Amino acid sequence: MMEMTVEHVQGTDLVAILGLHGALDASNYMAVVAKARDLYEGGARRLLLDMREMSFMSSSGVVALHSIIRVFRGEQPHDPEAGWEVFHAIDRDRSSGMQTYVKILSPQPKVSLTLQKTGMDQFCEIHKDLSTALSTF
Amino acid sequence: MENRQTLRLNAANLKDLEFIRNFIEEEIKSYQVDASAVYDILLSVTEVATNIIVHGYRGKSGPLEIEVGCQGDMIVIAVRDQAPPFDPTKVPTPDISLPLEERPLGGMGVHLSREFMDHMSYRYIPEKGNELILKKKGVALH
Repeated sequence: MMEMTVEHVQGTDLVAILGLHGALDASNYMAVVAKARDLYEGGARRLLLDMREMSFMSSSGVVALHSIIRVFRGEQPHDPEAGWEVFHAIDRDRSSGMQTYVKILSPQPKVSLTLQKTGMDQFCEIHKDLSTALSTF
Repeated sequence: MENRQTLRLNAANLKDLEFIRNFIEEEIKSYQVDASAVYDILLSVTEVATNIIVHGYRGKSGPLEIEVGCQGDMIVIAVRDQAPPFDPTKVPTPDISLPLEERPLGGMGVHLSREFMDHMSYRYIPEKGNELILKKKGVALH
């Protein structure tokens, strides 16, 4: 079961904080992408994914994260059937350095490990506390 | 396996993933497996079950059987399905020295599943279907 919460912070750009509570897997990752798209269409231009209360994330969560970054760059999210193509895209992005649109707050260690093993941590900043994370936007 | 419990789903779909994780977590609790190893096992089985439903059954429902057991200090999970034969152990391990663009396509869930377990073996049983065995060593303290 995945629950989501939303807060907004007005900075130079409107920053949305999307809180993910529970387990993120293939059964619900499209709902997370859809929520992020709603936030973008509602005017948010930067997104902080608050993972403090996310207990579990499978590879579908990695696909969701990358799709959300594409949304916030004004691109189309990934085709759910894209498979490794998502990871190829991650590699292309990684070579261009950290993107600044979407950042992650305090994933639990095992989720961090999944982010590392898929290269996600090399182009998506991970912060340990909320105020620091917000100050980087 | 010394002890084993089986979950049989006649029409498994992606909404069952949490139910499957809850079943496994409940069953291995009695073996005093630490939280880190529990997570590894849950992630691995989630990836395998997702692949079976999404690719094996092409997003539709299908039979899925999860057997959880313990051999000494090792947790053993058997996953059985009736999708077309598919051997995930044959999916090449990505060469991390290569750029991702040059790595073979397919199997991102398999890759993570193998990374978080110690052993994966496969066999196809005529009339019964695919059987994948996953093992996590040195984690059962009972």
